[in-house]
Amino acid sequence: MKLRILLADDHEIIRRGLCSLLQGHKGWEVCGEASDGREAIEMAKQLKPDVVILDIGMPILNGLDATRHLLQHDPHFKVIVLTITDSDQVIREALNAGARGFVLKSDAARDLVSAVEALESNRMFFTPRVNDLVMAGFLDKGHAIVRNEPPDLPVLTAREREVTQLLAEGKSSKEVASLLNLSTKTVETHRSNIMRKLSLHSIRDLVVYAIKNNIIQIQVPPHLNGTTQSTLA
Amino acid sequence: MAVRILLVDDHPVVRQGLRTLLEGRAEWEVVGEASDGVEALEKVGSLQPDVVVLDVTMPRMNGIEACRLIQQKTPGMEVLFVTQHDSPQMMREAMAAGARGYVVKSNLARDLLEAVEAVSQHRAFTAMARNPLSC
Repeated sequence: MKLRILLADDHEIIRRGLCSLLQGHKGWEVCGEASDGREAIEMAKQLKPDVVILDIGMPILNGLDATRHLLQHDPHFKVIVLTITDSDQVIREALNAGARGFVLKSDAARDLVSAVEALESNRMFFTPRVNDLVMAGFLDKGHAIVRNEPPDLPVLTAREREVTQLLAEGKSSKEVASLLNLSTKTVETHRSNIMRKLSLHSIRDLVVYAIKNNIIQIQVPPHLNGTTQSTLA
Repeated sequence: MAVRILLVDDHPVVRQGLRTLLEGRAEWEVVGEASDGVEALEKVGSLQPDVVVLDVTMPRMNGIEACRLIQQKTPGMEVLFVTQHDSPQMMREAMAAGARGYVVKSNLARDLLEAVEAVSQHRAFTAMARNPLSC
């Protein structure tokens, strides 16, 4: 029986590339493709794939929150997250969310097949940097990388994080309500709770918070960020 | 019409995705790949493609600079930018550097084949997700 893989990334061209990589492996099939975190959750529940590959920087619901949601629903899901950065914070959040694989998008052509193979054999797959951090945390318990709660995100509920992402993406309360099947009044209550809990005063503050905490990821033109490496957000 | 294409992007997965899309057209051929502007210039010289599909943000030499140099070296070679920068300013820079086309990565499945076809026939093609501009 073939290993069934669900693939979620908001860029069709990346999905094409990843599909082509994965389908080239005998015994694997991509059973579904999703373009945002919510769609990925719905498809995963319906298709019950053996492996779920989630991009972190997706609209509507990011890959980290989608991972948390999926594993709360069924802890047996095996998730690989794709990321544009292996910063300490992203690594910590991915591990806390329960991802079993962590692959940099820039290295996906080299690492993704190995990551799926690892999960297929009930092992985990991480980049060398994740391994270093986990080892450092193991050796120094005071800096343990995996905690029950990520330090920067203790106060928001899953629903509030969803609302935060949608507001930070520029959606109105009405649009958020429609996407989440809630009333506008409920969304506005969530919105004021979020602002109060985080001591924020404007949507601009909320956007900054969402970027800092990897709830949304942004693309910065090369002339503004001073780097020449593209990000594949 | 046969079209020989050079793919330039620093991410192998993106090149793979582009190749898959482009090779859907039997008469089109991806004759080579490059991962930055410097390598692109070398391959333009050796492979003489009809169309260069070029990313903007790349290490060593970005796509805008590469496009300028391609135009200096081989005037009239057709360049199509394929980028994540959904920005009218970036598009203007790209076209000023001598590109014939500009499409954003988020809409590629819709736009790429049409864009390569247009550019290979020396027609301009631009498509953005949020801010459509005519050139």
